[in-house]
Amino acid sequence: MKRALTFLLLILVGFSWAYLGYAKTRIEFWHAMSGSRLKVLEKIVNDFNSLHPDIEVVPVFTGTYEETLTKFIAAYRAGTAPHIVQVYEVGTQTMIDSGAIIPVYQIPEVLGETWDWGQYILPILLYYSVDGNLWSFPFNSSTSMLYYNKDHFRAAGLDPNKPPTTWDEVEEYGKKLIEAGIVKNVIAFGWPDWQFEQQLALHNHLYADNDNGRTGLATRVMWPDEFSIKVFETWTRLAQEGILIYAGVEYDPNAAFTSGAISMLLQSTSSLDGILKTAKFEVGTSFLPRFAGEPIGNSVIGGASLWVRKGLSYDELRAVWEFFKYLGNTDVTIYWHKNTGYFPATNAAVKQLMDEGWFAKSPNHLTAFLQILIGRRDTAASLGVRLGPFVAIRDYIRSAMEKAFSGALSPAEALAEAAAKANAALEEYRLALGK
Amino acid sequence: MEARFPGYRVLPYLLVFPSVAVIIVFLVVPFIQAAIQSFFQTSPFGTTSSFVGVRQYKLLFSDPSYARSLLTSWYFALIVIIGGLSLSLFIAVLVTRRVRGTAFYQIAFIWTYALSPAVAGVIWALLFDPAVGIGTYVFSKLTGIAINYTIQGTTAILVLAAAAIWNMLGYNVCFYIAGLQNVPRELEEAARVDGAGPWRTFWVITFPMLSPTTAFLVFVNTIYAFFQVFGLIDIMTKGGPGGATEILVYKLYRDAFIRVRYNYASAQSVVLFLIVAATAIFQLWVSTRRAVYLR
Repeated sequence: MKRALTFLLLILVGFSWAYLGYAKTRIEFWHAMSGSRLKVLEKIVNDFNSLHPDIEVVPVFTGTYEETLTKFIAAYRAGTAPHIVQVYEVGTQTMIDSGAIIPVYQIPEVLGETWDWGQYILPILLYYSVDGNLWSFPFNSSTSMLYYNKDHFRAAGLDPNKPPTTWDEVEEYGKKLIEAGIVKNVIAFGWPDWQFEQQLALHNHLYADNDNGRTGLATRVMWPDEFSIKVFETWTRLAQEGILIYAGVEYDPNAAFTSGAISMLLQSTSSLDGILKTAKFEVGTSFLPRFAGEPIGNSVIGGASLWVRKGLSYDELRAVWEFFKYLGNTDVTIYWHKNTGYFPATNAAVKQLMDEGWFAKSPNHLTAFLQILIGRRDTAASLGVRLGPFVAIRDYIRSAMEKAFSGALSPAEALAEAAAKANAALEEYRLALGK
Repeated sequence: MEARFPGYRVLPYLLVFPSVAVIIVFLVVPFIQAAIQSFFQTSPFGTTSSFVGVRQYKLLFSDPSYARSLLTSWYFALIVIIGGLSLSLFIAVLVTRRVRGTAFYQIAFIWTYALSPAVAGVIWALLFDPAVGIGTYVFSKLTGIAINYTIQGTTAILVLAAAAIWNMLGYNVCFYIAGLQNVPRELEEAARVDGAGPWRTFWVITFPMLSPTTAFLVFVNTIYAFFQVFGLIDIMTKGGPGGATEILVYKLYRDAFIRVRYNYASAQSVVLFLIVAATAIFQLWVSTRRAVYLR
């Protein structure tokens, strides 16, 4: 009996030894890329794996951005977190404070390499940097823009090459489109909570104190103030006139736009390829509508970046770094941009795209990019917001929009209610961190 | 019942051990952990933690959205239980009539239970999509009212309740059909001989005879309306609009896993446990005392 057991044990040890000796470095990669983006991402990962026989990157789809972040937190607490996680811009401050990650700027240092971070597009670099150091790897960056149905514009007697520039024009065009009987509702927002942030940044208004949480942990949100109430009141009026329809969150309203039920959509540029492929009409894109007479800011970066869990072995870290370098390859960056609509993240990729005439061939791929490149980036307000409990605060803002649009609360009351919750969440976050 | 394993002192304990162990590992231990967590404030990643006493409970009882969530849960449960059970009983009575194709009707009404709440959620979300849903379209054609469950709180609750009732219909109808088949024909015939009409026969004979089934279904539907609708809510409304469909269990989930307030959610789970335990004890007490059992 004893000898049989010893024998078995020896075989087991032998097997596991052999397994370890030949094992690839396995890198688990959690992401939130659904729909048409998923196939594009999987092709990139498969290509990488076939180029690197000693590394296996395993992509795991973990739901929406919100779910991916919260799953990562739960997994980290349970000790089963992946090597790489894709976190949307909302989770940036949470990740910075987490103590659970290694900032990407340190990875080449650990591996004894030098890396020129200047090769990435500046607005992206600025968004994900703390004190000039990049904390997460830029992968899928985007911003919001206006999509519109040119066929609808023609049918309503509007100039298809003159999309609305201001919210007043949105209202004016909207009335015409409804009167002409083309649609019942005119415009919807993808990521409605994010569109609110976009409007504040676009007009150089701060969202939270301490420079939008960029110079220290934010202690309170700046709304409701005159401008944010104006945004809410305008949108509520549009909603009550039937021009604006609240058609759900994230990518929910895309179906209404591509089916022709509405004529305009504010949505991430990352939906561009999906929309161009499904829409059976001529799609136009332009910059976000503005409020006339308000100061100029910039649209803010959205999308997500890649974070690396701390405590990786040297081999794992090297594998992760190889993968990141591969993602930054000009050809890979271009493939990713052309098939999703996300920004080309490196300067070299932009040059090659320009040289081959891509932007002339597909000007819609340039819209959001131009919008962010021409805006200012010298103020905290135009650079974007960093808040610890941002996921919760976005939830409160969505609630406030739903309450204001349905008339349950006045726009100012809805904002004030959300602000009280947001401030409590900010206080709780600082309490938990002991700051 | 009285003869308990004579001569074996350890065996009975050994036999119940596996289920007790499962309960301890999966229910008791996590519950104690949650109870302890509710007295702390922990950072999202759990890296720092400090004792804060009853702060979470104070917050909870002064939080108007929690009071609202509590009300919403009861309101929703009442619609689902009363609406669902009356509809199911009505359908069950119809499909147990001797008509051509009874078997087809019985199966047709039962199959909705074969769908998980998540699938039911997808179907109903498409049906009542504010911009392209056929349900929204038909409803606005019939009544002239434009409904949008993504911004109208009451619409959201009603659409959700309709989906929940539809989802549970098969289960309830199934049990009522079985219950109806067990009502002795002699009693109904005796009533009819005594001159009672079908309406009176139903309320005086059939309905009381069904009370064990009803009691059981009320219990199951309460659990359904409180917990299992989670999938439905997650797919359709995510607790919105403006928290209008955030029933207790969904609020707990969002506070813990979306808003990353684990400690606050732990306090909620302790309170939810007490509420559900009290409800269950009350219902079991009522149903065992009031239901008519044929022996």
